[in-house]
Amino acid sequence: MSRLLDNKLSRRRFLGLSSCALATVVVGSQVKVLRALAKSGEVGDLTRLPDKSVFTSCEMCVNKCGVIARVRNGVIYKLDPNPDYIKSRDMLCARGNAGIKAMYDPDRLKYPLIREGKRGEGKWRRASWEEALDLVAKNLTELGEKYTRAGTMFLSTEGFQEHFFLMLAECYGSPNTVRHPTLCLASNIQGFGATFGTNPTPDVLNADYIIMSGANRAEAFITPDTIDLLKGDGGRRKLVYLDPRFTKTSAKADEWYPIKAGTDMAFILALIHVIVTESLYDRGFIETMTVGFDQLAVHIEPYTPEWAAAECDIPAADIRRIAREFAAAAPKAVYYQGRRSSFFSNDTQMRRAMAILNAIAGNWDVPGGMIPNGKIKLAEHVYIAPWYDDIPDRLDQGSVTYLSAKDGAWLHFRDRVLAAEPYPVKGMMIYKQNPLQAAPNRAKTLQMMEQMEFICTIDITMSDTAWYSDVVLPEATYLERMDPVESLPGILPVLSLRYQCAEPLFESKPNLWIMQQIAKRLDEEVFESFDYTIEEFVDHQLSNNPAAKQMLEEKGVYYESPTPVYRSSYGKPLRTKSGKIEIYSEKYAENGLDPLPVYTAPEAPPAGRYRLLVGRHAYFTHGTTQNNPWLHDLMPENTLWLNTQEAKKLGLKHGRMVQVKSPVGVQTLKLEVTEKIRPDCVYMAHGFGVLSRGLTNIYGKGACDAALIEDKACPISGNAAMHETFVEISPA
Amino acid sequence: MTNKRYAIVLDTRKCIDCKACTVACKAENGVPIGRDNYRNWVTTEKLRGTYPNLGQSFTPGQCMQCGNTPCNHVCPTKATGVNPDGLVTVEEKKCIGCKYCMTACPYNARYYNEETKAVDKCTFCAHRIYAGGLPACVETCPTKVRVFGDLNDPNSEVSRLLAKHPSRVIKPEMGTKPFLFYLM
Ligand code: SF4
Ligand code: SF4
Ligand code: SF4
Repeated sequence: MSRLLDNKLSRRRFLGLSSCALATVVVGSQVKVLRALAKSGEVGDLTRLPDKSVFTSCEMCVNKCGVIARVRNGVIYKLDPNPDYIKSRDMLCARGNAGIKAMYDPDRLKYPLIREGKRGEGKWRRASWEEALDLVAKNLTELGEKYTRAGTMFLSTEGFQEHFFLMLAECYGSPNTVRHPTLCLASNIQGFGATFGTNPTPDVLNADYIIMSGANRAEAFITPDTIDLLKGDGGRRKLVYLDPRFTKTSAKADEWYPIKAGTDMAFILALIHVIVTESLYDRGFIETMTVGFDQLAVHIEPYTPEWAAAECDIPAADIRRIAREFAAAAPKAVYYQGRRSSFFSNDTQMRRAMAILNAIAGNWDVPGGMIPNGKIKLAEHVYIAPWYDDIPDRLDQGSVTYLSAKDGAWLHFRDRVLAAEPYPVKGMMIYKQNPLQAAPNRAKTLQMMEQMEFICTIDITMSDTAWYSDVVLPEATYLERMDPVESLPGILPVLSLRYQCAEPLFESKPNLWIMQQIAKRLDEEVFESFDYTIEEFVDHQLSNNPAAKQMLEEKGVYYESPTPVYRSSYGKPLRTKSGKIEIYSEKYAENGLDPLPVYTAPEAPPAGRYRLLVGRHAYFTHGTTQNNPWLHDLMPENTLWLNTQEAKKLGLKHGRMVQVKSPVGVQTLKLEVTEKIRPDCVYMAHGFGVLSRGLTNIYGKGACDAALIEDKACPISGNAAMHETFVEISPA
Repeated sequence: MTNKRYAIVLDTRKCIDCKACTVACKAENGVPIGRDNYRNWVTTEKLRGTYPNLGQSFTPGQCMQCGNTPCNHVCPTKATGVNPDGLVTVEEKKCIGCKYCMTACPYNARYYNEETKAVDKCTFCAHRIYAGGLPACVETCPTKVRVFGDLNDPNSEVSRLLAKHPSRVIKPEMGTKPFLFYLM
């Protein structure tokens, strides 16, 4: 795959050529995009308005970094980082900078669309909001009568206006909200929650020693962690990084170990073994703050570094040394748990092992350790959802040990829809979620969608999921709407607010307006819960905190302290059963789960097959920003990484097209022969191989990992296990 | 003497190749879409070693605002000019698109902008710094790889960094006297 570098060296080839050599240049500036759209009658003419700067926060990924939008004549021409926004430390990443192009994007959804042809055929009719909303309300009402109100599932993913969508589900009367966590971090929340009563945040800035398992922070951005990992201490900090791939985080790490995928728990248990047997733990801390250390000491005996070395391909001497270094650096040391933990079906127990290691080293609520999240209080939004008598339990009730009633268990839910067990689900309301890219086994998701009687998607672009819907409603982008205040928890908790930076383009509308319109059509009683403007909603949220209102207006952010507050959890019971850090989990034992993490080796790839790894990087957010013109420029398609030696064995050359076959799907993409991956694995970046022709820059490019990954999951948290699929590679 | 001499000092050890600087620049300076159009860049250097002993570095760059400017010398219309503070500029209206400067620049720092019909390049975001701001790439960088400032001010961060750490410039043999300094 060519990179900017190659292009940089090759751009001289245009020297001396006439300008027609570049005739296909696409317009660059926002004003020019608007002029082009105005010419075709899609937007009105540009007006002259005064220059202004508006505070908002980025919605190109989930970090919500602080932004100042620079606006001239009503057009946003630049997004600058907000220096006062302590969470993102005065930076915007490539996606954040490309936010303008999400708004001024010719591929945007412009007006409501109603499907004309078959699902997925791409035949649409432009409809008025009136007609589209009537159709949505009519279907919701009819589905409710036919299948009870649980017969419609509500899929969404986090965002400042998701609250209104979840409210609609509740007021409509469906218990079946299916959110993203079980495709992402549910096992992290579960594993750390079972140990600490919360999923804490590692204090990256102040830690002297950090171990990361596959959390590719140099590419998968988390603010402020990504920033803090590289700056702030002039290189004093040590980073040990485990990943079957040589990522950009590997390039920045002090030590990189290409661990055998799925064996991280063995590595962690061996670290615990060394720390326990050599008495390197924090005895005082363990005595006052934890329960179950004695059971751990016995449990850990067989997990020697020598044993682990054979499991994970990391030398025993290194494991021993890392354990000692980690203990010596404690409590300013963290085993960083990462965010996405949808790797293996043992993920919850693996995250438990990480939590236990942090606990015995005493890395709790002190500088450089694991810090329970602070959160700033907002006035609660109290509303009354109507009561319906005939509503059954969630469809996925009882499918996993710990089911979140708000999030559900994505893959289990889909299986039950397909089996119509215990009842049929025939309607889908979707806000921002894109399961055709996000959920493993795309064929199965398509099957689930096929049996739906009605599907409505609210989004800003024609995602694959929108493409397979019956009604598509265009939402205003984050730059075009005011959003509720969001209280972002963390080491540096902040309140974040989006002021509206520009008028919504085309006929797009904020989600609150869309929800109000649907509510109105459903029932007067339902509408009562939605009857306010966004300004009134925000005023209410801040009604107990005038200081917050003022600081948000002046600085675009509110915080109580610009530096972390430590030790706030000391002297108080934690939110665990015992009130202490649970090394041994009584709760797990009662539920028939291993009370201490027990290692089982992952299945090895069968001969001739490779383990498929998926991953994120700094240019794209999940399946959402690949089509953004500026980001697309950085990486126009994905490739399949295959180790050089393996490629030689298979006789496959760099750059050729290959077919990748898994038990659930086949995809074709370009081969990237590289040293950057273990010989037993292959990798492709997420978010390509789209079905939607509405994504004109990327349609027909690269391959879709969701089409290949099998639907396996962690039985405790329900989290998808995305690294348990083996694929065959052949010439295409 | 109140004259300024602007420079950028880079600590590439902090660079994670995230390309935020490249995209910020495109937005700030209306650089047309297309992979051949850019005012700044991040070179993903060749992988060192073989599996599993690997290393890689990333090198951001842009116009070096040279002290001795081959681009300026060859410009037939004086479209390229040098400000007293060292910033090298291109006056759009005067540029006839002959591209001599593109050939002359040893750093491939210039491109031809089809929209403005003129050669374009990094000016350290002159319009931003004259208004008291920072170059867009400097400001947006997550890890603050680039530091911008005035070398004529001994107390500026750039002066202090260069006094404290050894540094290098790219292609010193060309005699261009670049003002982009890479810390070693
Ligand atoms: S990390 Fe990047 S995309 Fe995510 S919120 Fe921050 S600036 Fe936006
Ligand atoms: S923004 Fe900073 S870290 Fe990212 S590529 Fe540019 S110089 Fe490197
Ligand atoms: S880097 Fe190239 S364009 Fe910039 S001043 Fe030097 S020679 Fe001129």
